[in-house]
Amino acid sequence: MSRIGVFVCHCGENIGSTVDCQEVAARCKQMPGVVHSEDYKYMCSDPGQSMIKQAIEEQGLDGVVVAACSPRMHEPTFRRAVSEAGLNPYLCEMANLREHCSWVHEETDSTTDKATDLVHLQVEKVKRNKPLQPIQVPITKTALVIGGGVAGIQAALDIADSDRKVILLERSPSLGGHMAQLSETFPTLDCSQCILTPKMVEAARHPNITLMTYSELEHLEGFIGNFKATIRKRARKIDEKLCTGCGLCLQKCPTRKISDGFNEGLGMRRAIYVPFPQAVPNTPVIDIQNCSHFRKKKCDRCVKACPTDAIRFEQQDEWITVDVGAIVLATGFKIMRSDQFPEYGYGAYPDIIDGLQFERLASASGPTQGVIKRPSDGKEPETIVFLACAGSRDAAKGVKYCSKICCMYTAKHAMLYKHKAPHGKAYVFYMDIRAAGKNYDEFVRRAIEEDGVKYIRGRVSRIYEEDGKLIVKGADTLLGGRPVEIKADMVVLATAVQPNDGQIDLARKIHVGCDEYGFFAEAHPKLRPVETNTAGIYLAGACQSPRDIPETVAQAGGAAAKVVALFSRDRLTREPLVAEVNRRPSPIYSDCVGCFLCETACPYQAIGQETVTDRDGKLYKTMAKINPGLCQGCGTCVATCRTKAIDLHGYSNEQIYAEIMSL
Amino acid sequence: MEALRTKAKELLAQGEVQVVIGYEAGTAGVRRPCFVRTAESAIRLVWDTNCIGNLAGYLTRPEIKRFGKPAIVANNAVLRSLLQLVAERQLQQDAVLALAVAQDGVVTELPTAQAVEDYLAISPGGLSAADREKMEHLAQLSREERWTFWQRELERCIKCYACRSSCPMCYCGHCTMDCNRPQWVSVPSHALGNLEYHTVRAMHLAGRCVQCGECGRACPVGIPIHLLTCYAEESVHRQFGQQAGTRAKLDYALGAFRPDDKESFIR
Repeated sequence: MSRIGVFVCHCGENIGSTVDCQEVAARCKQMPGVVHSEDYKYMCSDPGQSMIKQAIEEQGLDGVVVAACSPRMHEPTFRRAVSEAGLNPYLCEMANLREHCSWVHEETDSTTDKATDLVHLQVEKVKRNKPLQPIQVPITKTALVIGGGVAGIQAALDIADSDRKVILLERSPSLGGHMAQLSETFPTLDCSQCILTPKMVEAARHPNITLMTYSELEHLEGFIGNFKATIRKRARKIDEKLCTGCGLCLQKCPTRKISDGFNEGLGMRRAIYVPFPQAVPNTPVIDIQNCSHFRKKKCDRCVKACPTDAIRFEQQDEWITVDVGAIVLATGFKIMRSDQFPEYGYGAYPDIIDGLQFERLASASGPTQGVIKRPSDGKEPETIVFLACAGSRDAAKGVKYCSKICCMYTAKHAMLYKHKAPHGKAYVFYMDIRAAGKNYDEFVRRAIEEDGVKYIRGRVSRIYEEDGKLIVKGADTLLGGRPVEIKADMVVLATAVQPNDGQIDLARKIHVGCDEYGFFAEAHPKLRPVETNTAGIYLAGACQSPRDIPETVAQAGGAAAKVVALFSRDRLTREPLVAEVNRRPSPIYSDCVGCFLCETACPYQAIGQETVTDRDGKLYKTMAKINPGLCQGCGTCVATCRTKAIDLHGYSNEQIYAEIMSL
Repeated sequence: MEALRTKAKELLAQGEVQVVIGYEAGTAGVRRPCFVRTAESAIRLVWDTNCIGNLAGYLTRPEIKRFGKPAIVANNAVLRSLLQLVAERQLQQDAVLALAVAQDGVVTELPTAQAVEDYLAISPGGLSAADREKMEHLAQLSREERWTFWQRELERCIKCYACRSSCPMCYCGHCTMDCNRPQWVSVPSHALGNLEYHTVRAMHLAGRCVQCGECGRACPVGIPIHLLTCYAEESVHRQFGQQAGTRAKLDYALGAFRPDDKESFIR
């Protein structure tokens, strides 16, 4: 016969005010198998926990039910208390009298009845609980950071500085990401490249960091502490060991008119190129779509120019498999392009540009050497209109969220323009100014008050061209919706921040969730913001939601801290609440018939196969086997299994059935 | 029929297969399964329009497996079962030699699952016209009428499990119905237990039923129980586009999701 102890918590007034806890405790005494039952004001307090420990020792309990709050809140607390008293922690169950009963009902007799029923369920369950031992898994102490922008660089440096190995993966030819494209950064207006490039160089030189640029994650399997990543290293067509980065090949390349992605299409690059002069690594890449050698099979000027014979036209993509223990996703963002706005001419007017293009125009290393010039005719604009919330907070564009960074960078753009052209006019159309952040509001005020940027609250309905000017039609909603018309030379759209290209594909490859817009989903919006729901995969930067640089760097540090904390242990302890395929005596071995429908149903790829052979090594039976390191205990396989061959430890079919039948 | 006998004789004589699973003459014109293990007894094999039973159920039986490599006289239902069994890894790709017999008696050897797939792609077959008519009739009834219909039908069930035994997809060694810790479904053949049994069976066959109708034929009290599993199967086909018994590669709608699924909640 079981010896169960029931402990009913009042949770102060939370449960006690609507449930008669004393009565519940008294009724529980009558339940078969219950030998001890008491109530207390705060079970989670020290005296409360002592009551449980004392009862276990004195009464020799073999199961404990704590009727209190949600197990999410205090299950670890009570399980620890129970194990301190010498009982297996998994012989302790919680009945949720707070969220499931007292908070949602009035004070009536039936509320107390329901509370009793909830306890009864758990009493029946705990009778069938089995002692479980935590699962130990080894950890590979190498981290994989995906994305070489500021988030990835920061996370990689922080992990590497704690003496852990890092593989930093970047799909473009150079580290740097979007931050390398920026001119100055708010709110201090320091030069973006000046603060980023030292970090890029540090990341490249760090003895603990293996840099893999021009490479992408192809495939991922495994689980926390034991991932196996397949990386596709794309062929640069250049021997990286021989290349000295002298740049002679770049000068000789005859294909010169290729739109430059780094300069957002405002400049030209060649077919063999380095994205920008400060690129890390400073090794060129041959763009085989445009290179004459690959298109026409005849040019070899770069080969002739190269003093170290580093050009390798025959070089092929490589697939490299690495073992890693944790992954930081820092894949960044993209912005909506100006051609997605019918009201602003679908990108037909070259002088309507987006924020990143303006950054390149304002950058000293940009295509205009920092002089703001119109893309159409190269004239310096006298009037610029900046539109905040272009696409953001606009359900019709599919972006309901605030892109967060636009208010600040629009103020910065207007300010930079006014600094470069003090007599020019800068107008900003905005919906609200969201400048929450250290020194942020002061920055916006400075743009308005000191630099004389005209802020107009309202949206722009249409932009069209007339006599070489862009006519911006909007309304000033602070003046009762009075129509406003501005003749501008250039319009800058602060377009919405969106998940990067390929983000959803990546999410599928590595089995992390995405929110409705395609940003990676965090495990908990408040309490676990840098973790994903897949253990061992962490988030940094704008791949999770729009973020500015300070936040991105802070989050990257947070993700790095999580990785380092994981790596500080030699083995990983996991909850043993995992599914298992049952075993039967031979010749059945298991109820599993090996149909493997569970294999496709498992969202964590935790199901593999196990074979039983006879003495001669002849295959006797093939059945499913669940990897306890990968299993998250979701129970999908249990529901899928027709023969009920799979059961979930801690939530077995028998336990659930007994719970239901107790009602 | 002669072509079939000759082929079976040849295969057994050459030792290519150890057993030919086919039909022989039973009493009163009924065709019953037979297991021909020697070339001489190939003469027992019969093929005519009365050979409608699905023999594929025998392929997963341990006592039949013990005979050695089988050849099976196959109509389209058998071929569909064969594919689904391969998809569910109950049979190896080339473990069974299917002898597809056409209306005119021409025998085609289908040694691999791929060959079966190709053969079925030309003439998939499916529910008989009579069954189709019954299905349509049921679909036209109101929900309450359908409920009454099934209650009345299932009332007669004696839980002999003939439907389960005859079904080629009910190959589990230990059926949920036999599970008694916990006892999911009550054993006696009362109305509730019967309903539970047949609903669970239909759900277990949704997305897996090859629509051979064998369960309905096997029922000693004449419940058209195959209509329930066929309906479940057709619902899955309608909703998800997947159909059991068309491919040798597992494509189980109820256990997996596709990235291009029309429902977005699962992402």
